[in-house]
Amino acid sequence: MDALNSLLDGFGTALTPVNLLWAAVGVLLGTAIGVLPGIGPAMAVALLLPVTYGLDPVAAFIMFAGIYYGAMFGGSTTSILLNTPGESAAVVAAMEGNPMAKAGRGGQALAAAAIGHFTGGLVGTVLLVALAPVVARLAVDIGAPDYFAIMVLAFIAVTSVLGSSRIRGAASLLIGLTVGMVGLDRMTGQQRLTFGSLQLADGIDVVIVAVGLFAIGEALWVAAHLRRGAPRAIPAGRPWLGRDDVRRSWKAWLRGPFIGFPFGAVPAGGAEIPTFLSYVVEKRLSKHRDQFGKGAIEGVAGPESAASASAAGTLVSMLTLGLPTTAVAAVMLAAFQSYGIQPGPLLFEREPELVWGLIASLFVGMVLLLALNLPLAPVWARLLRIPRPYLYAGILFFAAVGAYAVGGEVVDLVLLLVIGLVGFGMRRYGLPVLPAVIGVILGPAAEQQLRRALQISDGSVTGLVNTPFSVTVYAVVVLLLAWPLLARAVGRSRRG
Amino acid sequence: MSAHLDPSSAGTPGGAPAGTPGRSGENRSWLARHSELGVCALLSVLGVLVLTDALTMDVDIARRGPVGPTTMPLVVGVALLLVAVLLAVDVLRGGRGEAEAGEDVDLSEPTDWRTVLLLAGIFLGSAVLIEPLGFPVAGALLFWGSAYALGSRRTDRDPLIAAVLSVVTYVVFDNLLGVPLPGGPLMGVL
Amino acid sequence: MRPRTPLALLAAALLVLLGPPLLNPDDGTDTGTRIPGLRFMVPNTPGGGYDITARTAAKNAEDAGLTSGIEVFNLPGAGGTVGLSRLVGEHGNGKLAMSMGLGVVGAARSNDAPKTLADTTPIARLTEEQDVVVVAKDSPYRTIGDLVDAWRDDPGGLPVGGGSSPGGPDHLAPMLMAEAAGIAPKRVNYVPFDGGGELLASILGNKVAFGVSGVGEYLDQIKAGELRLLAVTGSERIDGLDAPTLKEAGYDVDFTNWRGVVAPPGLSEAERTKLVRLFEELHDSPEWRESLRQNGWDDAFLTGEEFGDFLESEDDRVVSVLKELGL
Repeated sequence: MDALNSLLDGFGTALTPVNLLWAAVGVLLGTAIGVLPGIGPAMAVALLLPVTYGLDPVAAFIMFAGIYYGAMFGGSTTSILLNTPGESAAVVAAMEGNPMAKAGRGGQALAAAAIGHFTGGLVGTVLLVALAPVVARLAVDIGAPDYFAIMVLAFIAVTSVLGSSRIRGAASLLIGLTVGMVGLDRMTGQQRLTFGSLQLADGIDVVIVAVGLFAIGEALWVAAHLRRGAPRAIPAGRPWLGRDDVRRSWKAWLRGPFIGFPFGAVPAGGAEIPTFLSYVVEKRLSKHRDQFGKGAIEGVAGPESAASASAAGTLVSMLTLGLPTTAVAAVMLAAFQSYGIQPGPLLFEREPELVWGLIASLFVGMVLLLALNLPLAPVWARLLRIPRPYLYAGILFFAAVGAYAVGGEVVDLVLLLVIGLVGFGMRRYGLPVLPAVIGVILGPAAEQQLRRALQISDGSVTGLVNTPFSVTVYAVVVLLLAWPLLARAVGRSRRG
Repeated sequence: MSAHLDPSSAGTPGGAPAGTPGRSGENRSWLARHSELGVCALLSVLGVLVLTDALTMDVDIARRGPVGPTTMPLVVGVALLLVAVLLAVDVLRGGRGEAEAGEDVDLSEPTDWRTVLLLAGIFLGSAVLIEPLGFPVAGALLFWGSAYALGSRRTDRDPLIAAVLSVVTYVVFDNLLGVPLPGGPLMGVL
Repeated sequence: MRPRTPLALLAAALLVLLGPPLLNPDDGTDTGTRIPGLRFMVPNTPGGGYDITARTAAKNAEDAGLTSGIEVFNLPGAGGTVGLSRLVGEHGNGKLAMSMGLGVVGAARSNDAPKTLADTTPIARLTEEQDVVVVAKDSPYRTIGDLVDAWRDDPGGLPVGGGSSPGGPDHLAPMLMAEAAGIAPKRVNYVPFDGGGELLASILGNKVAFGVSGVGEYLDQIKAGELRLLAVTGSERIDGLDAPTLKEAGYDVDFTNWRGVVAPPGLSEAERTKLVRLFEELHDSPEWRESLRQNGWDDAFLTGEEFGDFLESEDDRVVSVLKELGL
């Protein structure tokens, strides 16, 4: 119970009025900036770094924790309301959240996301306290063959989100994989599909692809078929979650963290794969599978909870190993270093007050986030009641701001428009958009892990299956593939 | 703006991409009904592009193991060609990709290409104008132009909304967050 | 047209045109080290090495009262090559500087960039950092000699991990080491990782035989005994760390990663001097001393001409290593 005592001490640190204030300021600033287009959590933390310069380290990191969680939630807000994900982890939120918002259930979508962030963060942080040393050991044992096995599993899972027409889903996935290949090959530095352009050498940012396909594509599609005439106002709807919403969401909220946390903790994890796996899981398990793509609340609740828990997982590796597993962690690591503190194996012994104060403030931050955002959800949702021309003009405007602010390159805007036109075409001919985004995210990662695994084994294919973990995952894959056959066989024998 | 008929009485002949081809569509050209073959063509072009790029890559260096920088493009390129063929077969057999429906989408109307092209043009124009005229000007033009293209005609109000939105965004990013955006031709003159 | 349209148009035009300049007045008088409107470009992502260097330098310069309102911005891409070509494109702009280092030299070469650092105005080299050769604590290799002997026998079977893409510092160091040990660099099995985090996990988990990276990133793990330090790549041992230099161990390698600042080409003599002076004063400030200490950076201050010569020699070194690899 050593951890528990330390944690209680930590609460003593976090709950002083001054630190409480910093946590609240952090959550507010984080949400406000996370809502801005093109600014994901990493950018938000980097931009707000100077704000904390004058503070003592404990207060600074308490504020950081608030900014991190706030920014993640802020990113989902725009994703849900405007279909413009500010970062790759918020892409899935747009899938179900935006249709909900369009149907006048934006308040519920935001509330489901907020509670998802809360439970995900809560469970994730509890896991952080309880499992930090164990997870840290395990994270080190996960290597390239294991990652590749997970990617294979993810690709199998993709087939279930390919939509009604498998062939059209596959076409979309391949478009995504092609876009993902653009840029310098990460293993050898070879240029692929760059056509000699330096701007393309670093690849096409997932956010540009997602915003292009989702926001621009949709704005153009709507423009082509705008319901002119008296616009049907989006029904106001109930501001709060109904009993039915809660009944459908609570399991998703609780499942999310167990998918998100492990991914956050391992070095090549991050939040993209778990959010999307959570989405697939919820779709599989839901009784309302037909509602997916049209605004199923489980599809918001689960992934958001997974995203938040993965953030907690990220902190495990960063605090115990000094391993930055995501861009946000890298920025926070830099922040630690600017205070002369080196996260790593010695941190818990050297700076117990700071670490446990930080962990306790995660709990505090989560509560503040929920308390601030739940009442705000219906207010945000009213944003969608502005006249249609303004709404879609605003979406185009903010999508452009986001793409331009990141790099300051006009080329990115042109790229955004081109991808938007692709998104328009995909809507016209019934190609689902999600597989393309998944292809952009998973393709390069899978390729890199495959090649790294083969390189480490010096070209021997056994390098892909030389760990118990990878073998286990492949066994699961085989089982999943064989399941329909097995089920049919079992069914037949029962009937017979 | 004239109000349309109740959209639920849809089913306008021709134009609508979804649904079964009606008898009145018989006369419409075969190509128009099978325009989805264009998707197949684009997919094949993409496949050929990816394969060409992979095959012309100079890979004698730093290659280790059975999987090099060209493996993935080769696989994806071949798969693109394959999917293009399969999709073509599906279309010729009468398969149709269902156009996406939505709250603000009225599929009973034919595609309004004028608005789409106008929006794309405005977007492109604003992008080009950011550097010479600064973000506030380009952003305001983007918002106002888009709202106009989408049917808003409040010329006494829209430019102001656009200008305020654009300048506020500029201030938030440039002054408050330190993300630099170009201010316009008068920067440093005043 | 509505009657008030012209008025609205006029007001909107005034707002978008006059707003920004009125909000950002050119306040500073152009004297001393003050360079009003100075912008500091970082050619990689927030949190990376060049980013921390630039943001620290900008903050210290402001705290020391040397100048105010330095704007730090990121323009990542292709290992710094995108930022480099932008910088070279800003011909004659005396209010722009770019944070860079050995990695940018390598990236410009391995990407065959149309612009190289020879096209820029060198301002100052600020810091340097040695690379370290590390293995996990349970690795069979106890000394650098053990490791290199095994490596020579089977270069393919002993993968080496580094935190930079081909052409970057962590790639060059093991290549130079291999060369000095009589291993053809082409045979080295170099596995690139995205930054130090994933690499650290791979070393700790014995996924790669050994790792090469900047000392700052792994100082703590070395002190905690999680990683075993076999050698440092520079010319001198690091205080408090018990490991020989590669030279002492009999391999003729002297390799140090460094970071510095360059400006666009075509600056007037006055503009160039002014930028150099800003960094000279920064270098002398107590704030910068403190930052060096905190970040574990070695002071490696070098300005103007000398820095230019140094850039040239580094460029030659990178070219010769890459040529040997056939890159």
